[in-house]
Amino acid sequence: MSDAEQPTDDGVPGDDEFEPIQVFPEAEDMDLRPGADDCYKCSTCDTNCPVAEVDDEFPGPKFQGPEQWRLKRQDDRDIDDSVMKCSNCMRCDSACPSDVPLSQMHNTARGEYVEEQMEKFSREYVRNRILANYRRLAPLGSMFPRTTNFVMGLSATQWLGEKVLGITGEREFPEFATETFREWWTARGGAQVRNEDKRIAYFHGCYSNYNTPEVGKALVRVYEHLGYEIMVPDQHCSGTPMFANGMLEDARRSAETNVRELGAAIADGADIVASCSSCSMSLRQEYPELFDFEGTEEVAANTWDAVEYLRVHEDLEGELEGTSVGDEFENFAYHAPCHARNQGLDGQTMEVLAPIDGVEARDVGDSCSGISGTYGWKAENYETSMKIGDEMFDHMEDADAETGLTECPTCSMQMEHGTGYEITHTLEVLEAALVGTEADSQ
Amino acid sequence: MARDTEVLVLGGGSTGCGIARDLAMRGLEVTLVERGNLTDGTTGRMHGLLHSGGRYAVSDQASATECIEENEILRDIAGHCVEETGGLFVQRPEDSDEYFREKLEGCRECGIPARVLSGAEAREVEPYLAEDVKRAIEVPDGAVDPFRLCVANAIGAENHGARVETHAEVIDLLREGDDIYGVEVRHESGPGKRTHATPGATEEITADYVVNATGAWAGQIGAMADLEVEVRPSKGVMTIMNVRQVDTVINRCRPKGDADIVVPHETTAILGTTDEEVSDPDDYPEEGWEVDQMIDTLSELVPILEEARTIRSFWGVRPLYEPPGTGTQDPTDITRDFFLLDHTDRDGVSGMSSIVGGKFTTYRAMAEEISDHVCEKLGVTAGCATADEPLPGSENIETLEAGMDDFGLRSPVARRSKQRLGSRASEVLETDDANPVICQCEGVTRAEIRDAVSQSGSDLNAVRIRTRASMGNCQGGFCCQNMANELHPTYDEETVRASLDELFQERWKGERHALWGEQLSQAMLNYALHATTMNRDRDPASAEAAVDFAAFDGGGR
Repeated sequence: MSDAEQPTDDGVPGDDEFEPIQVFPEAEDMDLRPGADDCYKCSTCDTNCPVAEVDDEFPGPKFQGPEQWRLKRQDDRDIDDSVMKCSNCMRCDSACPSDVPLSQMHNTARGEYVEEQMEKFSREYVRNRILANYRRLAPLGSMFPRTTNFVMGLSATQWLGEKVLGITGEREFPEFATETFREWWTARGGAQVRNEDKRIAYFHGCYSNYNTPEVGKALVRVYEHLGYEIMVPDQHCSGTPMFANGMLEDARRSAETNVRELGAAIADGADIVASCSSCSMSLRQEYPELFDFEGTEEVAANTWDAVEYLRVHEDLEGELEGTSVGDEFENFAYHAPCHARNQGLDGQTMEVLAPIDGVEARDVGDSCSGISGTYGWKAENYETSMKIGDEMFDHMEDADAETGLTECPTCSMQMEHGTGYEITHTLEVLEAALVGTEADSQ
Repeated sequence: MARDTEVLVLGGGSTGCGIARDLAMRGLEVTLVERGNLTDGTTGRMHGLLHSGGRYAVSDQASATECIEENEILRDIAGHCVEETGGLFVQRPEDSDEYFREKLEGCRECGIPARVLSGAEAREVEPYLAEDVKRAIEVPDGAVDPFRLCVANAIGAENHGARVETHAEVIDLLREGDDIYGVEVRHESGPGKRTHATPGATEEITADYVVNATGAWAGQIGAMADLEVEVRPSKGVMTIMNVRQVDTVINRCRPKGDADIVVPHETTAILGTTDEEVSDPDDYPEEGWEVDQMIDTLSELVPILEEARTIRSFWGVRPLYEPPGTGTQDPTDITRDFFLLDHTDRDGVSGMSSIVGGKFTTYRAMAEEISDHVCEKLGVTAGCATADEPLPGSENIETLEAGMDDFGLRSPVARRSKQRLGSRASEVLETDDANPVICQCEGVTRAEIRDAVSQSGSDLNAVRIRTRASMGNCQGGFCCQNMANELHPTYDEETVRASLDELFQERWKGERHALWGEQLSQAMLNYALHATTMNRDRDPASAEAAVDFAAFDGGGR
């Protein structure tokens, strides 16, 4: 640089001056207006939105996303409060023929709404914060599972939940397991198979740790049966309920831990698998859309759904050919969760179960279960949630089956709540076919 | 002989409307005639920049000083038309330091507040600026909606008793000896508010004084009375982006050149421009390469533009003028100053002055000077009040806005509606009727459409410039027919159909220059929707022969 190029006039900062610039902009500060370029307003998203279908007050994803963003100016601070009615099922993402980043737009708008507009001492905020941070409460409940289950099951508790927090009293709280998955994992001495070439890190998420450890155990037995070494890294909530409640700061903290821990597992030669379709969705899509930690993209690129992973890396169909399950399973009414659908996995369970003798699965159609995580737990959404679920309930009852099957914990709550059926996870069926049940192995 | 009016203003652009309001406020009897809609000439075809004067701070300091003065006045009197965006003159590594310094000094000499930002600071203000921008000068540029401003002036003139006739083309100047005493106009659909499909009429309008404020068309008007007005129309292309990539006016800091400005405009950003002399302001080529070249050049400054969606392009014609004998070759070198040509002094023909040159930002000052001149001619002593008197819609905006609720609208729709309507928002949006959104892209509700219809008759393009309905990313694909629906039943089917056709044509005129990528998808979707839902590909209602409905069965089995 010649002298002439040196800034000489008053107060011009030089290039070497320290400039405090935030390297990673906060997710709720992102400018997603350019994303509106992809929208040509065909309204396919609106016709696929399960909330818009049953709630005329909800303006739908086209307004929530591209239209609202396009109308926005940099200094505008208010987001329309209807964004809190979006259930974050993310169906609009797959419906869009033009790759508009709809759920990213909803997530950031919701984050901005909660950050800027929601009263931090309001019942709604406190309730949402509690629901979004289920993982922080679960260890407490899990410490004295029987007592907790007893207390949570009391009608007085449900009444209080509804009156004080706005958590619907119509639903029964999920029971805590007497032994968490991680306790079981430690007790059994961790991995039973060592294999440098076939290694996975299991992202169990909160629900199969605290509430349904049988799903996690099934995954372990199936993967070890196929010769995999399993790692169970430290982990936080995947963030799904936090995105859905606009708690992006909480989600950021969890994501930071997850990306670090899972990134380390990848460095050790593992791929990441998840048994919950919302967890895998979050790691694969929402993390790279909302966060920018080192390794985020790598974690996203190496995360799989647990069944999908086996279909790609093993001859799963061959393994299952000629296997059978016993009387422990009836025929299933299978519901594909929206977040599995978004990953292109909605047909997977039907195909995988086909070669197994002794069990039939009936697909109950492509409607949304309506609960969408914490959404259907909120008193004000309960009715909408059940209206959305109606189609699925009807189809379940019409199907030639008495039990339900799905990969999503909250879909299973809704299925059970709407029909009274017991609900199983696909991995549990695979476990029975390939390894035998837990009782058999002991 | 008694004349129809004291002053007759020709041209419904910013200058004409500004003059009409100024004179009407001084108590004169004013009539304004415009060939098409208000703003149809050059005013509606500008990039929406409210100059700080920074642009002229090196080359033309007199203009620069005038710009900053008027900039400050318009922020006060036209708050609902102006967005205080601020502006940056951005220097890229290859741009001259010498010129950067001259620009900064020039701004300070002209009283334009200017502050230097480092490249990183500039990128903090506008994250989509190129990573290698070197420095920037921050100035109080702004964005202005020329449609709203021009319409507000016309309404202001009417509120003071003026008659404003749109779609009234001047077909002759009335001249007796060496005196011009009026014009003959052809009303496309009779005098008064426009109604399509109504038979036209001609009218002679006589006046004590005629002001020719037709800008690039001033030469054509002059010729009707054998007067030579040496206006040199120069075209410039502007491209409208689908979204705002920037919220600040971005200028390239270099001496002169094409494609050096991005102006955030309402929901969009407008890229400008080029400068090329044309012989006929109504007939000049609009070429694709002009658009391509502009996007390419501006992408050096704002790289995201390269891949961004454009929704339309349009060309405007500057009414450049230079006194005979100046002989400037390059139109970019022709002064942006304005000239008042009194034909008495110039040509020995009394009764008319022509106004040429000038720029939008200083329209009010021009109008004041011309109005002073007219008053002197007519022996009127009243002074100008336009620098202090807010335009209709801009009275006490801040106080009013603080007290306004959202009128039951979703918040971004309420925000944009209140911004457009200014102090008229409550009057327009408070309604007991259902008030659905008619134009989703721009957030325009039925109440606002109806308000515009009440101002402008069956003319949907006039509704468009008042409300922005149909100006968003679908370019009217989803809303034109719903706008037309609001004309009924006040207007009959034939009138509504004619007005809708005209709006579609106008939308298509600009959109056809953006047919690639997403906007091509949009156009195809619009086409399919219109063909399948309204028969617009082969509408029997517009066929030559009557449809033989008897040939169809009754639909029964």
